[in-house]
Amino acid sequence: MSNTTTIIHDVIIVGAGLAGSWAAMVAAQQGVKDVAVLSKIHPLRSHSGAAQGGIAAALNNVRPVAGTGPRGPLEQVPPGAEPADSIDLHVFDTIKGSDWLGDQTAIEIMCRDAVDVVYEYERLGCVFSRTQDGRIAQRRFGGHSAPRANFAADWTGHVLLHTAHEQALRHGVKFYSEWYCLDLIIEDTICRGVVALDVLTGAIHTMRAKAVLFGTGGYGRAFKITSNAFANTGDGVAIAYNAGVPLMDMEFVQFHPTGLYKHGILMSEACRGEGGYLLNAQQERFMEKYAPDKMELAPRDLVSRSEQREIDEGRGVEADGQGIWLDLRHLGREKILARLPQVRELAIDFVGVDPIDDLVPIQPTAHYSMGGIPTDVDCQVIADASGAPVVGFYAAGEAACVSVHGANRLGTNSLLEASVFGRRAGFAIAEFVKGGAKLQPLGGDPAARQRQRVREMLGREGGELVEDIAQELKTTMTNNCGIFRDEARLRQAWEDVRALQARFRTARVMDKSSRFNTDLLAAIEAEHLLTFSEVIVAGALTRTESRGAHSRTDFPKRDDKNWLKHTVAHKNGADGPQLSYKDVDIDWQKYPPQERKY
Amino acid sequence: MSDNGKHTNVIVRIQRFNPDNDQKPRMQDFQIELKPGTTILDALQEIKTHQDGSVTYRKSCRHAICGSCAMNVNGKNELVCKTPLRERLDKNGVCTVRPLPYLPIIKDLVVDRTAFWEQYLRVKPWLAPPPTVQTDREYRVSQEEVAAIRNAETCIMCGACYSACQVIALNKKYIGPHALLKAFLRVLDPRDAIPGERLADLDGSDGVYRCHTIFNCIDACPKGLNPTEAIETLRKLAQRRLKVEEERLERQKTITEPIA
Ligand SMILES: Cc1cc2nc3c(=O)[nH]c(=O)nc-3n(C[C@H](O)[C@H](O)[C@H](O)COP(=O)(O)OP(=O)(O)OC[C@H]3O[C@@H](n4cnc5c(N)ncnc54)[C@H](O)[C@@H]3O)c2cc1C
Repeated sequence: MSNTTTIIHDVIIVGAGLAGSWAAMVAAQQGVKDVAVLSKIHPLRSHSGAAQGGIAAALNNVRPVAGTGPRGPLEQVPPGAEPADSIDLHVFDTIKGSDWLGDQTAIEIMCRDAVDVVYEYERLGCVFSRTQDGRIAQRRFGGHSAPRANFAADWTGHVLLHTAHEQALRHGVKFYSEWYCLDLIIEDTICRGVVALDVLTGAIHTMRAKAVLFGTGGYGRAFKITSNAFANTGDGVAIAYNAGVPLMDMEFVQFHPTGLYKHGILMSEACRGEGGYLLNAQQERFMEKYAPDKMELAPRDLVSRSEQREIDEGRGVEADGQGIWLDLRHLGREKILARLPQVRELAIDFVGVDPIDDLVPIQPTAHYSMGGIPTDVDCQVIADASGAPVVGFYAAGEAACVSVHGANRLGTNSLLEASVFGRRAGFAIAEFVKGGAKLQPLGGDPAARQRQRVREMLGREGGELVEDIAQELKTTMTNNCGIFRDEARLRQAWEDVRALQARFRTARVMDKSSRFNTDLLAAIEAEHLLTFSEVIVAGALTRTESRGAHSRTDFPKRDDKNWLKHTVAHKNGADGPQLSYKDVDIDWQKYPPQERKY
Repeated sequence: MSDNGKHTNVIVRIQRFNPDNDQKPRMQDFQIELKPGTTILDALQEIKTHQDGSVTYRKSCRHAICGSCAMNVNGKNELVCKTPLRERLDKNGVCTVRPLPYLPIIKDLVVDRTAFWEQYLRVKPWLAPPPTVQTDREYRVSQEEVAAIRNAETCIMCGACYSACQVIALNKKYIGPHALLKAFLRVLDPRDAIPGERLADLDGSDGVYRCHTIFNCIDACPKGLNPTEAIETLRKLAQRRLKVEEERLERQKTITEPIA
């Protein structure tokens, strides 16, 4: 691990998904000369590219045909017609979707900026699907009361990611591709840079900057069945937590209703947005029982719970009864080929079923991380529940918790969040740097600690395999901290996570080399999973209510009196997290809490 | 190999090479149990996590959209995440995995894509926006115009085509099918302001005329795209470059207006 140097940039952005790419592009556009982006995989491999269904914005390009009901056909809005959708409606849907845990100022900002951001994507070359008169096409999505999911067939994330990356290149951003961030350097609540490993050589470098942004994505990999990429190991949240930054609302994990059976690979919500049905073993559209109005297009938390209930009560499909049918057959060949070509291929490739002719077996899959690194609306990371800043440290996208999704995210709102807040972070960082921010001195050699950590890991002989520990973690998180939770199961999860953390300390890395050591990286990622999982479990165990995606069978009701507040978790040495609470930002006149019914 | 499903053991033969220690690449056999639904990536994961952690490859999304895991399987480039192992076993129950050919090897199945990304940059993959700046609405693009670039829009830059191309094998200066496909996307996009400049660049000796239409790229593409056809279109457009420029200027006059 020789040949290490200190690298200096004005701005270091960790993560090259939509959040990181937007932040980099905008900071550079705003005149910051020296912007560098680190990504542990090539930027275009970032998980944003896997998003399928759409990005929300109330553009008012299409509307339901009058008199055809909530699932009827859509038409383009004729010129001069009354708008069918509005920013206010998008705000309300998001607040309701969040089960009132979302911060309302942040939500208003997101829904307002949404319109600009989607037009900006279009102007920057994003290839959207189109209406007949050439506007951006829109479809329905769960929990949204108007068709406002702007899309490119079912590869929306792919075209957004390529567009954002291309434009960042155009503005001269420097990319460190396949560099792995190991640590965040914070002293006296001032951020001074990061420590990163160059995957190709194995060298570990201190990287100093005036400002650092984490856009490191979600943490779905802590669960057994997940739609998330291998890369979604919540590195950023674990690194921040270890560096003394709090994590917020980590107990809120979204399970998506339609992961391919056994694989967890996503069949986009667009399947249901375009009119698909969910059926149980008796071929009943069981959503009639749970959300008679919105049916399959109820929000994800509700649909996943309904599926799980059908499964638990013996009405699941496939040999082990753990599946549910997704029925697209009635949409017809033409619509499936035009609107859902990718999900069709996925069904053929992974479960051997062509949705044009047959039912597709699916099951709920861990999908989205509502919790993360707490920030204000300009992506400035906060150090505690009072909102004091960690100077020079920003976060955006799925790694952050600003919080626009509260207890449950609506589909298409996260590509939006990553873009809107990535962009806002770009402006905020540019202002901070151009306003005279300085490189801050370092105490000691932060890279030395990481070299020691890696040396120690590589030095372990014997011991268990990392993968076996990771699998046990995923199993307990799924079984005991999954869709339905209760005190006994959560206590079990807590015991398990703590025991696995201890066992990990002697787990062995097989590859001892420096060059492109992905075995070492997998071990570090497993350590990260173990680190933040304790926060998920502790938050879930303490929160004695059911809200959004957090569903306690022993406390089945939402409890606004005691729990209308964000969980803020600080690392407390070896004792696990120290929890405190932060008020939700609510406009009591405009959007007071209501019962959430669909 | 027996066909009764459950406990069939098969061999995954992997090309190994760490330039820090090895003189030249060698093949190594790993035995694994073939379970229903196992993809080649699943098999590599099983080997890496339980047998030999030093087996090295790239991966991420595991559903054919991130472009990380293109490799050479039994002589053909493909994405290992979406390829069932069962379909790639020879009659002895062996599946052979090598890195993408014609590229320097970093370690085992990981190749150095520097030249690949340089060519991507060379074609200026970004849109050069039109002079008429539209700030409060989208530009209008017809469904036909979108359909015309669908062939390029879904390219995931996995490199399967690039490393199957016989021209690339001999000449790394050739822009290559991946970057030409991107150029095609930009040239055909009615919003792009510099199709003429792009076509002039592609017209050079490293560009569209280097393609020998051997069609390897089409065979290799895991997304079913057709770079050869895109290159042929670019060739034709390059011949009438000035006309293309003119037409684009004309089209952009109405780019903010509804499609009739
Ligand atoms: C299958 C799927 C489909 C989806 N579909 C939709 C949809 O239709 N609409 C919608 O709104 N949302 C959708 N989502 C959610 C949405 O895609 C994500 O929330 C969003 O893309 C996250 O963007 P991001 O920029 O925050 O992170 P990501 O795109 O995940 O990027 C994270 C980046 O951080 C880097 N990174 C992480 N750790 C490190 C480290 N230690 N060192 C260096 N770099 C690091 C990675 O390399 C990567 O570049 C979907 C999600 C999935 C899983």
